[in-house]
Amino acid sequence: MKILLIEDDREAASYLIQALDEAGHVTHHATDGETGYAMASGMDYDVLVVDRMLPRRDGLSIIESLRAEDDKTPVLILSALGEVDDRVTGLRAGGDDYLTKPYAFTELLARIEVLARRSSPSEAATSFQVGDLTLDRLSRKVERGGEVIMLQPREFRLLEYLMKNAGKVVTRTMLLENVWDYHFDPQTNVIDVHMSRLRSKIDKGHATSLLQTIRGAGYMIRD
Amino acid sequence: MTNRFAQLWRTTTVRLTAIFVLIFVVFSVLLLAVISYQSSIQIQRQQAADIDREIRQITKIDERQGFRASIIAVERLSRQPGPGIYFIGDPTGQLIVGNVTTLPPEVLLEPGSYTFNYDRQRPGDPDSTDAPEPPPPQGNAMVRSVVLSSGLHLVVGRDVVERRGFTAIILQSFLYGVGGIVLLSIIAGLINSRRVLARIDSINVTANKIMSGNLSERIPITQRNDEFDGLATSLNAMLDRIEQLMQGLKEVTDNVAHDLKTPLTRLRNQAESALRDSAHEEDRRKALETTISESDKLIRTFNALLMIARAEAGAPSGAFADIDVSAIAADVAELYAPVAEEEGMELVSEVAPGIRMRANRELIGQALVNLVDNAMKYYRANGEDSSGKITVTAREVGGRVLMEVADNGPGIPAADRSRVVERFVRLEQSRTEPGSGLGLSLVAAVARLHKGEFRLEDNNPGVRAVIDLPA
Repeated sequence: MKILLIEDDREAASYLIQALDEAGHVTHHATDGETGYAMASGMDYDVLVVDRMLPRRDGLSIIESLRAEDDKTPVLILSALGEVDDRVTGLRAGGDDYLTKPYAFTELLARIEVLARRSSPSEAATSFQVGDLTLDRLSRKVERGGEVIMLQPREFRLLEYLMKNAGKVVTRTMLLENVWDYHFDPQTNVIDVHMSRLRSKIDKGHATSLLQTIRGAGYMIRD
Repeated sequence: MTNRFAQLWRTTTVRLTAIFVLIFVVFSVLLLAVISYQSSIQIQRQQAADIDREIRQITKIDERQGFRASIIAVERLSRQPGPGIYFIGDPTGQLIVGNVTTLPPEVLLEPGSYTFNYDRQRPGDPDSTDAPEPPPPQGNAMVRSVVLSSGLHLVVGRDVVERRGFTAIILQSFLYGVGGIVLLSIIAGLINSRRVLARIDSINVTANKIMSGNLSERIPITQRNDEFDGLATSLNAMLDRIEQLMQGLKEVTDNVAHDLKTPLTRLRNQAESALRDSAHEEDRRKALETTISESDKLIRTFNALLMIARAEAGAPSGAFADIDVSAIAADVAELYAPVAEEEGMELVSEVAPGIRMRANRELIGQALVNLVDNAMKYYRANGEDSSGKITVTAREVGGRVLMEVADNGPGIPAADRSRVVERFVRLEQSRTEPGSGLGLSLVAAVARLHKGEFRLEDNNPGVRAVIDLPA
């Protein structure tokens, strides 16, 4: 995947570039807003990672200009401003996701990979399949090996989100934001409890475990 | 000195005085105009009545005693000093006796009333015959002419210039009066302004002292109990509040320093132990993992502090929206029910549907999460053997939205209830539980932000935490 990182903190950037490289991604780097905007509009990237406060040109204005030019490249905004209204302004400017500093690299990586998937057809698919597990979004029916699994509405949304991003790591915060639509600190391991319930429903009695816990990062569904 | 006067001129009192003096002068002049007009009309009427009376007398003399007697009477009258004008002439209009030499011809042609200018020179005056003669002064006459029964022409009148002199006297006295009042007003205004200026100066002096760092300084209050004392009292109350807030801020800073320094020290120690040469690969890994989880904890504490600060500063109204409180309470209950169950507790939701209000969705959600989390922590810390039960309630009672999280745990002693809401306060039995000690202070800050209150009530047994907001 080709990523453009627009970030003025050189130390943080070089760490990110190295870590993204280890994860198998090519990362270009711009240290100020003007250069970043020129690079973003001149080349094709899969994902843009844009810091909000940049020298020479503000991160949000870069995104607004790109969107005005009908550039739909997914953008992840990085910011030290983490209040709800800051997030809302960021997303309104055309950002696709918003991550508050300081963040864990696993969180950033998971979000970048999910964002790159945005433009793929799975976003609009009406059903998902992972191994012998199928989920039909229209009839809201879940089956594994031909056997119907009864899920609560929230469990259905949880599984739907995981299957939409099958093969990718999703973090606990991503689940809280996308499945429950909350951006607050859950204080405890609430997501883990919900995941273990979901796992017992879909994996119990089957030889292969589809729902996997990725240590230090989050969860992933794959066969 | 000039500076002092410039400053004085800028004061409101001086300006007000100037405006009032101006208004007074304008009204005085108007009044003067009315009075002088009225009095000149009065004098004119008086003079017309005098003229009529004299004409009647002479007419009577002429009828009863003949024309000689009337000529003698007119001669006598014309010798008297004063504004009187007399003329008696033969039927052709030639002067027989009188104190005016020339008359406009129409006066004698037609009987009636006339006004005209004339040379004020009195024939028969002993002075007038003596040279050198000054040019005769102009007079303005109001006369009536009649033809007597003997055929003689009689003209009687008054010099109106005299009347004007009277008006001048009124004007003069008025000007002195107005001038005096203007002068007195200016003096009174200046004195008053100096007094006002002195009061304001005392406020300024205090403000400067406070700005230079002495926050305990207060504005002196006099015994007069006037509007300046009212202002000073309000300002002093404001200063008290500011000082109190500063004190609070200092305490918070001290607490933050303490609660952040401790985990930072642990963080540093962990990193050092990972760097030790003797450390095994496994130990290093563990140390680094602890480092990360410690720094995550720090970030959470920091975020909680920021959130409280934002809520207390009054979040921007853009973050407020019309939200479904019932849905949030139900979501929180649903989110935590499995967690409570794993801990051997029961989480019950008693949420009335359709409660809506203008609020910050994330902050209300976070506040409820903190309350539920708190209830579970207390349950764990006390190792209750009876089955724990947490009830999340949302209801609307008489224009108030009440969100409650109740438990049946050991409860909080009444004496500690207000203290646990303070920042970083953790009761002894919960010291071992993870948590920043900021949970309830955030709830309190969120309640205040929504113009409501947060309180802890006795649930018999247990605690009922209530967020009470105006709908």
